[in-house]
Amino acid sequence: MDDLIAEGLSLMVFGMGFVIVFLTLLVFVTSLMSRLVMRFEPAPVAKPAVTRSPSAAQPAQNDAELVAVMTAAIRKFRSDRDGQ
Amino acid sequence: MEKLLNIWYASGAYNLSIGQMIMILVGLMLLYLAIHKKFEPLLLLPIGFAGVLANIPQAGMAFSAVENALYFASADVLRDLAVVLGSSSLDPDHLKHLYYDSNASTHAAASLVAQDAGYNNGMLYNFYNIAVASGAAPLIIFMGVGAMTDFGPLLANPRTLFLGAAAQFGIFATVLGAVALTAMGVMDFSLREAAAIGIIGGADGPTAIYVSTMLAPHLLGAIAVSAYAYMALVPMVQPPIMRLLTTQAERKIVMSQLRHVSKLEKILFPLSLLVLVALLLPDAAPLLGMFCFGNLMRECGVVDRLSDTAQNALINIVTIFLGLSVGSKLSADKFLDMQTLGIMLLGIVAFAVGTAAGVLMAKLMNKLMGGNAINPLIGSAGVSAVPMAARVSNKLGLEANPQNFLLMHAMGPNVAGVIGSAVAAGVMIKFVG
Repeated sequence: MDDLIAEGLSLMVFGMGFVIVFLTLLVFVTSLMSRLVMRFEPAPVAKPAVTRSPSAAQPAQNDAELVAVMTAAIRKFRSDRDGQ
Repeated sequence: MEKLLNIWYASGAYNLSIGQMIMILVGLMLLYLAIHKKFEPLLLLPIGFAGVLANIPQAGMAFSAVENALYFASADVLRDLAVVLGSSSLDPDHLKHLYYDSNASTHAAASLVAQDAGYNNGMLYNFYNIAVASGAAPLIIFMGVGAMTDFGPLLANPRTLFLGAAAQFGIFATVLGAVALTAMGVMDFSLREAAAIGIIGGADGPTAIYVSTMLAPHLLGAIAVSAYAYMALVPMVQPPIMRLLTTQAERKIVMSQLRHVSKLEKILFPLSLLVLVALLLPDAAPLLGMFCFGNLMRECGVVDRLSDTAQNALINIVTIFLGLSVGSKLSADKFLDMQTLGIMLLGIVAFAVGTAAGVLMAKLMNKLMGGNAINPLIGSAGVSAVPMAARVSNKLGLEANPQNFLLMHAMGPNVAGVIGSAVAAGVMIKFVG
């Protein structure tokens, strides 16, 4: 019976120790990998900014066009109604 | 009149034993929990239904050809089986034990004798052999989980891996608990059984099923049912422990926003994890290998069709068979046992200890780094149970400070917990298996 407890204890110490060692190594490997990637890859912040500006400008342009068309239509409608 | 009697003797009502009746009620209760209480319905529904099917008398759906032959026991077949199993007695129970203990070749010979006599494997028994005994279903599900997992929050803050490691303490503490119960003579668990029970604390269904098929297949039903039932209970089990171990000020800690993680990092992460597993712990390679494969399919961006199948259609199909197979182990002679009660009890202890260890580890990390970098509430998410545990952290964080959204921060330890429990499973299989 004491054997069983001893085995359980050693499983706990070794098992938990191994899990911690493994994940600690994973932390190091991951951090290293991230640092390397960030060094060799140009800063990702610039790219989204560039792609965003034209896509943001387009709807604005459309909006301006739309407003112009609608204003013209309303003016025409009003002038037609006033005329009748 | 004789024919009427024959029909009566072949009916379910005539043959129903007390144990089977109780197990059918247990199956119906699982269905109730799944449908009405919404406890992990995707698994508990098939498990509960298969539990009912497995206990229908005379149908023998969960039994092998030999077990069915022994049950229906005509004298000729018994004699043939006794010869194959090398037994002088014709007692079916004795033969059944010999059959369970026999080696693979005798096993196969006995099956062939039973099949010659016209008996066949039950449907659920076949599902179990193909899906679970082979190890395939839990691994395919793990691949799907990998394809559903976003490692972004973890990569942005790799230190949260420590929280996932700490929460695995629940697993090993429970092993010790099971062993201690045995030493005190309350229960009777071997070390293999204790290890399989402990893995419930990993709060990860497929891992628990994989480990228990390896180490203690006869406990699979009880272990899988308690793992999934407790995963559903995470929102009730965790908060009191989390409140007890943290102060109001700690719960209010606001964590800094996570940095942007590039696509290349996300592609390289599963590969680095795989290399690490290959170098250090080949026993965890089946689980983590499939997990990394699924994740690589998701992140690489060139096989969206495969990734989509892995995380939707395939995982659903496999879940159905996994559930039915696990349910087939809910037969009366294997489930109605003091051991099942012990497993249920130890399972909840495993969850509670894991939660506490995660929270305490987060507090320790705060002390060591001399600041308020980590809200201890995310520590509890280290017991996998994705994404339920992370939602619990988020909810408690919002209670303390309505502006504090911890969900993304808690996803880091949450997926770290999945890796942690797979590593713990590998260690168990290596040391005990």
